[in-house]
Amino acid sequence: MKKFALPILALSRLPLFSCTKKEEANEKVLNLVVGSEVKGMDPIYSNDRYSSNETARVYEGLLEYHYLKRPYQLTPNLAEAMPEVSNNGLTYTFKVKKGVKFHDDKAFPGGKGRELVAEDFVYSIKRLADPKLQGLGWWVIDGKLKGLNEWREKNTSAEKVNYDEVVEGVKALDSHTVQFNLTKPFPQFLYSLAMTFTFATAKEVVEHYGNEFLNHPVGTGPFMLPEFKQTNRIEYVVNPNYREKKFPCDASEEFEAIAKEYCGKTLPLVKKIVVNIIKEDQPRWLNFQKGNLDYIGIPKDNFDAAVTPTNELATDLSTKGIDLLIQPSLDVTYTAFNLDLDLLKNKKLRQALSLAYDIDTSNKLFYNNRALPAQSLVPPGIAGYIKGYENPYRGHGKEADIAKAKKLLAEAGYPEGKGLKELTYDCPSSTVSRQIGEYTKQQFAQIGVKLKVVQNTWPELQKKIDKRQVELWGIAWGADYPDAENFLQLLYGPNRAPGANGSGYDNPEFNRLYASAAVMQDTPERTALYEKMVRMAAEEMPWIYGVHRQNYVLKHSWLKNYVITDFEAGSEQYLDVDLAAKKTALEKL
Amino acid sequence: MSTNAESKSLWRHAFEQLCKDKLALTSLIIVAVYSLVAILVALGVLASDWEQSVGPSYNPPSADHPFGLDIFGMSVWAKTLKGTEVAMSVGLVTSLISITIGVTLGALAGYFGGKIDEAIVWFYTTFTSIPYIMLVVAIAFILGKGLMTVYLALGLTSWVSLCRLIRGEVMRHKDREYVQAAGAIGGGDMRKLFVHILPNVLHIVIINFSLSFQTAIKSEVILSYLGLGVQGRPSWGIMIDDAKLELARGVWWQLAAATLAMLIVVLAFNILGDALRDALDPKLKGK
Repeated sequence: MKKFALPILALSRLPLFSCTKKEEANEKVLNLVVGSEVKGMDPIYSNDRYSSNETARVYEGLLEYHYLKRPYQLTPNLAEAMPEVSNNGLTYTFKVKKGVKFHDDKAFPGGKGRELVAEDFVYSIKRLADPKLQGLGWWVIDGKLKGLNEWREKNTSAEKVNYDEVVEGVKALDSHTVQFNLTKPFPQFLYSLAMTFTFATAKEVVEHYGNEFLNHPVGTGPFMLPEFKQTNRIEYVVNPNYREKKFPCDASEEFEAIAKEYCGKTLPLVKKIVVNIIKEDQPRWLNFQKGNLDYIGIPKDNFDAAVTPTNELATDLSTKGIDLLIQPSLDVTYTAFNLDLDLLKNKKLRQALSLAYDIDTSNKLFYNNRALPAQSLVPPGIAGYIKGYENPYRGHGKEADIAKAKKLLAEAGYPEGKGLKELTYDCPSSTVSRQIGEYTKQQFAQIGVKLKVVQNTWPELQKKIDKRQVELWGIAWGADYPDAENFLQLLYGPNRAPGANGSGYDNPEFNRLYASAAVMQDTPERTALYEKMVRMAAEEMPWIYGVHRQNYVLKHSWLKNYVITDFEAGSEQYLDVDLAAKKTALEKL
Repeated sequence: MSTNAESKSLWRHAFEQLCKDKLALTSLIIVAVYSLVAILVALGVLASDWEQSVGPSYNPPSADHPFGLDIFGMSVWAKTLKGTEVAMSVGLVTSLISITIGVTLGALAGYFGGKIDEAIVWFYTTFTSIPYIMLVVAIAFILGKGLMTVYLALGLTSWVSLCRLIRGEVMRHKDREYVQAAGAIGGGDMRKLFVHILPNVLHIVIINFSLSFQTAIKSEVILSYLGLGVQGRPSWGIMIDDAKLELARGVWWQLAAATLAMLIVVLAFNILGDALRDALDPKLKGK
């Protein structure tokens, strides 16, 4: 569940810097950066982007996202192939790759990493469900696997959690076959197997290190970290026993060149990863400019200096060989209405307010004109987004929009806003959130609707929403996995607050469509249902739709194969460093 | 001695001394101008159109708009004037609240001493240990955020220093001959305290008023900057909060307008406070 405060800009991917020691010119080293301390290296606790990225360098799961395919697509990682799914959609059977070895570690007999088996996945899933450990990713499988909730319940009061008991929901059929049995059809289940929470850990290692396991990551992944310490620099080395994994040969159109050049090369492509922890924007920016970091999200304050108004890179950066990459992120910002209030149940009122709200100026003022105005709730890049669709109630600040808004307002029963009480808009207390509120107030004033802007702390706002003490509020949603279901559930009636459906939209027709689509596999029929819901949500206006934001990343010329992804865990194994190019480029910096 | 005649001549003397001090006089005029602006804005004569967009976003200062325009194309000058209303009203109301509480409790504690004194001293030492930001948050939970919350929170947290001063001063005065004389002719406690002693410590209240006024203005700016202050209308603090992000794109005028407006009035109150102390403190007279 990733809710975001509105002003969190898309600066997530941070750069790195290598320190004083000059690395040997013939060794391929990736220099990365994170903007926050890393909590630790235990998959079941990796619930933020920073620790999950670190964890995924060492650990692996059954599935991963195809590095070069958009829309996002799952592909086998530790699994031999995509699973066999039973006809009723309840049973998923995976063949685990043979010959995969855990990292060498003293927790194993003789210090030699043993082979990965199906039982390791059973253990890891149970560990995520372990009531004593309180894994932070439990919500991913909560209520989804047969018997697992009961197992968790039973062990809550037990003195020692019993891992030996066979749970119907996740079991090993033989040494290399693992089977998941779901309580009800849930096609999005596969996405959870690409999340770090479900990555494979070895029981011996967990038991050997006990509480210290967090600091001793031992996985099957391409890189190793002998010991994790809370320092400003984390150094990973390549796993010499890494299984034969090859660079993919198939790719979406835009990445075909990369696939062609690297097809079939053995992964990982670099020998070492240096991750630097730099919390402040400016040192990060300067380190990138000096070539100490391979890529970096553009700090907001440097945005105008780095990117020209026409979305091109400033010439002083482009002459140094720096590239700019832009990609929409899977999110949507919105102003929600509390539909529990009779006043706001008035659809024409909501449509009028949406028409009065000029999204283009908002985009210019708050997102440097670099976001995509949202027509409905599903962002581009996933099935369900309708290309070219224009929401008829989307305001663009034109006179016609205002006239139409006024007409709708009169039809709603409030000509010129007469008889309508002052509405309240709640927002987090950051500067930009408040300015967005003030902007909304100004927009509504055009049709005679009064608005009061109230600032809250983030927890305060969440509480107000859950307790239904709000009228309008500004908020955003970022995808947990690349499926429109993750967005559409925000309007599903039974999910109403304190669930994710904060506005309390509850339309029987929409609920019916959602309930049938949510259990369908990814098929054209499901996409058709998604699109139907998207159109419905667009016209019903339970929210005033905001924008889909974009990621802006700068990278140096020597970094090869870098592509922006919303699901970056494990992606560094595909990156390469061109040492010759780096040498020449560094001279120019 | 007649307190009446004495205090009149003190005030007249003080006023004459103030008029001789050019700097203090200027400060007094500045404060008067700010007050006038605040009243005119409150009456809707000035800056009533602050919410209008009058040009493009972030237009720099020009002849029409001496302080430029903000993100929504609103005139920064009009917002500054509107902010003056907030600042002056916060200064006035919080000072009045703090004087009422401070003087009453201080006088009672100083005059009666004993258990009453102990209770009041205990109360204010405890009370003063609550940071005012916490109190704002607490009051905001009850009243909701807004001007009233700011008034109350700042007023309720700023009376302690005045209370201490008044308590000490009343203690010094209560055994003086003029108080004993008042008692001898049959004056009760309340009469002695409020009719005889209080006028003699009033100068402290005046000086404190001008100083707490400017502290309140500064506190309001900080609260609004943090998003805890006034809501939905301009304040200097909110303008500075806006400027935090604008500076990176070279928009300095909003910061300049808000800080300049605040600087001038706070400085004027400080100078005035010092000049008042010089003029009103009998011990400094003639030096």
